[in-house]
Amino acid sequence: MSDQPVVYELPVLPLKNAVLFPYLLMPLSAGRPGSIAAVEAALATESKEVLVFTQRDGDVDSPLQGDLYPIGTKAVIRKMSRAGEGHLELLVLGMERVALVKLDTSEPFLKARVTPLPLPEDKSSEIEALQSALIELAGEALALAQPNAPQELRGLLSANEDPLRLAFVLASMFSFDAEKAQALLEAPTRAEALRLVHRYLTHEVQVLELRNKITTEARSEMNKEQRDYLLRQQMRAIQQELGEKGGEQAEAEQLRERLEKADLPEDILKEANRELSRLEKLPPGAPDYNVIRTYLDYVLELPWRKSTEDSLDIAKARQVLDEDHYGLKDVKERILEHLGVLKLNPNAKAPILCFVGPPGVGKTSLGQSIARALNRKFERLSLGGMHDEAELRGHRRTYIGAMPGRVIQAMRRAGANNPVLMLDEVDKLGRDFRGDPAAALLEILDPEQNKTFRDNYLDLPFDLSKVLFVTTANALDTIPRPLLDRMELLRLAGYSEEEKLEIAKRYLLPKQLKETGLSAEQCSIPDDTIRWITSRYTREAGVRQLERAIGRVARKIALRFAEGHAESCVVRPDDLIEMFGPEPFSQEQARREMPPGVATGLAWTETGGDVLYIEATLLPDGKGLTLTGQLGEVMQESAKAAQSYIWSHAGDFEIDPALFRNSGVHVHVPAGAIPKDGPSAGVTMATALASLYTKLPARSDVAMTGEITLTGLVLPIGGVKEKVLAARRAGILTVILPKGNQKDLRDLPEHVRNEMKFVFAERVEDVLRAAVPQLGERMESAKTHRIDHAA
Amino acid sequence: MRSRTKIWAFADDAPALWQPSADVYRTRDGWLLKFDLAGVRAEDVMVTVRGRRVSVSGVRRDLIVEEGCSYYSMEISYNRFERSIEMPADLENARVTLEARNGLLLVRMITKGNQEYV
Repeated sequence: MSDQPVVYELPVLPLKNAVLFPYLLMPLSAGRPGSIAAVEAALATESKEVLVFTQRDGDVDSPLQGDLYPIGTKAVIRKMSRAGEGHLELLVLGMERVALVKLDTSEPFLKARVTPLPLPEDKSSEIEALQSALIELAGEALALAQPNAPQELRGLLSANEDPLRLAFVLASMFSFDAEKAQALLEAPTRAEALRLVHRYLTHEVQVLELRNKITTEARSEMNKEQRDYLLRQQMRAIQQELGEKGGEQAEAEQLRERLEKADLPEDILKEANRELSRLEKLPPGAPDYNVIRTYLDYVLELPWRKSTEDSLDIAKARQVLDEDHYGLKDVKERILEHLGVLKLNPNAKAPILCFVGPPGVGKTSLGQSIARALNRKFERLSLGGMHDEAELRGHRRTYIGAMPGRVIQAMRRAGANNPVLMLDEVDKLGRDFRGDPAAALLEILDPEQNKTFRDNYLDLPFDLSKVLFVTTANALDTIPRPLLDRMELLRLAGYSEEEKLEIAKRYLLPKQLKETGLSAEQCSIPDDTIRWITSRYTREAGVRQLERAIGRVARKIALRFAEGHAESCVVRPDDLIEMFGPEPFSQEQARREMPPGVATGLAWTETGGDVLYIEATLLPDGKGLTLTGQLGEVMQESAKAAQSYIWSHAGDFEIDPALFRNSGVHVHVPAGAIPKDGPSAGVTMATALASLYTKLPARSDVAMTGEITLTGLVLPIGGVKEKVLAARRAGILTVILPKGNQKDLRDLPEHVRNEMKFVFAERVEDVLRAAVPQLGERMESAKTHRIDHAA
Repeated sequence: MRSRTKIWAFADDAPALWQPSADVYRTRDGWLLKFDLAGVRAEDVMVTVRGRRVSVSGVRRDLIVEEGCSYYSMEISYNRFERSIEMPADLENARVTLEARNGLLLVRMITKGNQEYV
């Protein structure tokens, strides 16, 4: 070795993103003018040598000394060809490692002065160990990266003796990136170089293993699916061979056929088809399979466009209604009106009717009768006690066991989109944390909204606008206002005795006879017997008890016939005691004698009207006003108003004012167990108190009702028909009513109107004059007296 | 300049950069080896025989054909070369003669005569 290191100068090829190792061939392409000039200069020499240095940054186009790694490779150009203008393809072979001394960047190409940097030649057992480890690792990596790699490749690896060459080969085989490759080229010892390669290769193997794992997993998943598919295809083929249709396939096909035949609106059909194609993709065992099938069944069964033909024969409808129900003129008129509208405009919105009335007056059967008259389907759903919105609107299909709501279910049962849908007991809707069914009803009953009613289960718009909704209720006060607002109220007041008699003769008796198998000849129940039953054995606004009683009579007669010792018989009122035992209700007979302080009031109850007596008594040396008989607040207040009015007009009634100061009053309203409320007992209270303080008895054959004000006005009240009927039942034929209620008398049957006497009161004085005749006289004289005095 | 593909390769014997092709003949009195060494000057070739191994090494220096011309493409390998051939018999004592003919190097090795001499 000379002291002076060898230094020579050669053209330089700067390399982007790659490192040329000694001993290795590398194809290169040269495009930069500088590189082309360098190659041409090198080729012009005898030995065709160039220097190859790797750029630190691949994006630099004209590198300076600092842009190149200081260690590179001297190479010989083995082959050169031109791929096009200004583009060279080269094959270069690395010769030796060199260190850069000085880079000459003058034009036209880079030249460098370099000094050879011989490759390290250290030997140790570590190197041997690393070498064999590397060969093994490389084999592994090769197997992972290219399972089909030619055997020779592996042979080359193991046959290699020079550890550095092995390192270089591996580096280029696994395409190390430039930085790593450069580090390998610069390695000062073989051990270092091998360690580097080992480290990189280990990482590479891990990455490859992971990649392989991922792909095999993906593949095995796919394989399972493919396998299932294949098996299913085979099963189908076998079934076809056997002449059986694949279960689920047949099902899907059936559904498709039905879909094609069904007359569905376009958007519904689209949705149904989408669900069907989902179904076809599912194996029949899938949990969704049944869900979708039931859903499709439902969609198919719903009457999307199917409607029944309305019978528009008004005369016939009237006849049907009359056949089924006696009386109820208003309701029948309203139905016929709607029929008339339908005749002129077939697309008319159906009204939403609400029948309000006591139990047993025939609200529900009226619904059926309407359906019959219109020739529509009838469906009924009871809302009583319903407290879950989902019952009306259904559950979304995501829930297990989801069902459509009751409305859609009813539509399915009806099989037509224009049935009469009766929502029974709308006043008995419940509500709780699950939601408020009344709110859902708002949508259903709104003609503006129910054209596109969306059930949660179906999630498709269903047209409810053709449905004739009929709701029933016993009382209105529990129905939410917005709901009440949407409905057309039709009141069915209780029936009068005469009406009941007619109903019994026309419907109840024939029905019961038929049920017991008797003929009209075998058992006849004359009118007075029926009257006896209605007055003594039943107390109701409707006719249910009456029907039961007639049924009992019929059964007793039937028993006699069955025992064989009876011929046709006529049931007399006297026979009733024998049959039923003593009368359970004493006739609400007017009290014949009434002491001062008692007045006859009239009350409205859910079962019709009732007569009630208000009793007042003085408590000498007592104080204030005591009220008993389960009176509500409004009623208590009206009692106080009555007392104040009497007190303030004590002079007019010639009452000693000391009475008010020195004694208390107790007012009691029997029957004590029944809660009562409302302002309509005001006039009765006033009458009772006036009678009490004046010690003049009120007339026992006069009943009264009306609200009073503190200044003595009498205000109109509700339930006139029921109250008047109750008075008549009790045998009281004179009724004092507020003047404002005069118009309500039209609701009364004509014979009742003719039979009864009505007094219309504007002021409390009018009431007192009619109810307490002696007081009336006293007031008259007081008046004349006052006039005299004034004169 | 960048690596065109990820192809890798390496040359066999380290310092040499290329290997000439060779034919081997059996002759009546020994062996004839023919090397494809066109364009190599006679003084740049060295033949060594060590045991059964015959090696030919040297340098092919490019000769510039004309002034002012430049390569359009290049396929011939230049620079150092070496080719070793393992012979079936020991040739250490063979008589070796070299002849350059039309760009081929003929290496003649006569063994019979030697044996006769012994």
